[in-house]
This record gives sequence, structure tokens and C-alpha cells, in this order.
Amino acid sequence: NIIMLSPLEQFQVIPVIPLRFGAIDLSITNVTIIMGVMLFIVVLFTQALKSKDGTYKIIPNSWQIVVESIYKLILSLVTDNIQSKEAQRFFPLVFTVFFGILIINLTGLVPYSFTLTSHLIVTFAVSLSVFIGINIICARKHGMKMFSLFLPPGTSIGLAFLLVPIEFISYIFKPISLSIRLFANMMAGHTLLKVIAGFAFALVTASGGLFIVHLVPLLILIPLFGLELGVALIQSFVFSVLISIYLNDALNLH
Amino acid sequence: IMLAAAQKLGAGLSTFGLAGAGVGIGFIFGSLILGTARNPSLKDDMFRYAILGFALTEAIALFALMIAFLILF
Repeated sequence: NIIMLSPLEQFQVIPVIPLRFGAIDLSITNVTIIMGVMLFIVVLFTQALKSKDGTYKIIPNSWQIVVESIYKLILSLVTDNIQSKEAQRFFPLVFTVFFGILIINLTGLVPYSFTLTSHLIVTFAVSLSVFIGINIICARKHGMKMFSLFLPPGTSIGLAFLLVPIEFISYIFKPISLSIRLFANMMAGHTLLKVIAGFAFALVTASGGLFIVHLVPLLILIPLFGLELGVALIQSFVFSVLISIYLNDALNLH
Repeated sequence: IMLAAAQKLGAGLSTFGLAGAGVGIGFIFGSLILGTARNPSLKDDMFRYAILGFALTEAIALFALMIAFLILF
């Protein structure tokens, strides 16, 4: 029998093969399996299109057009947002982040799968490491003048006392908001799908004439799935756009 | 029992924040339509900025919804 627990139950990490070594827990969980699937898909997308001597084909087949259009999109994003001579050095970072989050979000849409980015620790790890990296880049390029980030140009001295703490707090809030945006979108979307599917399930096992009505939540579920697909694509794009904007802020002090 | 009732009450009340987010994304797409009417260079920049603005505003809505879920469960 299936017991209907709360709709947040789909985010649980369930160890499939438990391997504990004292205090260290290296068990194979369902998350590990999904991560392996995601790695396989990423490798498949980028490597399996190549011909025998390791080059892409000149006349592309359909999958290569997808990869090339993602490449072009991220390249235009990086070169437009980062106004610097060395803008293209940051292209591998943004492309990796975008492609990874895109594949993670898309594999989470498959039923009974697990969305990695719907856990705050995953998105916060990515966001915090990128934030620390941006700080190191900024400190290396500008040295002690890095603190002029917090003082917009052309403010009087009285306003500056008020503005610097506000700017500082908003600077600290940047990685937190970046990670929470992705996490909240993914988790809320999946929870919404689960709730509507729970309605459909409850109506199936209901008595009498309510059985026919169980099609209504299922029909609502179809556009919601489309919305979820859109959100998956958009959120990964927004993540990488914001990373390139923060890089621009770090490289050219405003 | 009081805790469960208060949880459901708090979760219901904290969805009030979604009203502002609804106004916000309506405004963004309204201005997209107006900007397109002035200058139909749509596919290049305006649609991309509209999607970016939509995602950022949706994030605020989801902050409020996240508080609701945190209270509820």
C-alpha cells in the first residue's frame, strides 16, 4: 500500500547501499545515482558528437546544433556583460555552471527522479564558491582599492556614512540571493507538482462519482509541467547571467 | 494541536507577499509590450531582458513562498 506522506517527501536522500566507515558516511544514495546519470548525460552531450580523431563535424547533426547554440549564447552573454579585455577567460566557468545547472534541472523533471538543485546545500555550494572566486579575482586585480566597491561615485560625505553599510549588506546578500533563487524555484515547482498529483491520487481512490473528476488535476498538471520546464531553463540562464554581471562588477569597479 | 493550527494559519498568511510579485511581473511584461510597440527589435535584447527580469521578480515571490513552506512543515 502507498502511504501519502507530505509533499516534501520527494526531497529525501535515501541510502541505497549504505557504507559507513565510523564517522565517515560514504553510502551510495539515490542522489549519487542521479549524479552519475547527470555526469553521463553531460559527457554524452559534449563528447559523443565527435568523430574519430576528436573533432566536431563541419556539417552538424541536430545535437551538435544544440551544443553550438548553447556555446554561442554563453559566449555572447560573457562578452556583452563583462566589459574587459580578458572577458573570454571567464567563459569556461560560466559555460560549465550554465550547462551543469541546465542538465541538473532537466533531469529533475523526469518522474521519480531527483532534482539536485532543489537542495539549498547544492546551490549554496556553487554560489558561495563562485562568490569567493570573484572576491579573490577582485582582490588580486585591485588590491586594497577593492573597498571602493561599496562607495558609488559622486556621493557627499554625509550620505556616504549611510550608504556604505547598505552597500556592504547588499554585497553580502548577493550569493545568498543567487542560491536561494535557484533553490526556491526548483523546490517550489516540484512541490506544486507533487501537491496537484496528490489531489489526482486522492480523487482516484475516492468513492462514487468523484472518480471521473480525477482527470481534472491531471489536465492541470500538463501546463504546470510546461511551466516547470520553462523555469528550469530560465533559472539556469539567470544564474549564469548574474554570475557574469558580478564578474563585471568585480573587474570594473563601479 | 495548537501548533498545527498555528502552522497552517501562518503559512496561509505568508502568501500575501505574492501579491507584490504578481504586480511586478505584470509590469515587466507590460513594459515589454510597450517597448516592442515603440521599436520592434524584439528578438535581440528586449525579450532577453524581460525573461531576466521575470526570473528575478519570481525569485522574490518564491522567497515568500519558501517562508510559507518552512512554517508549514
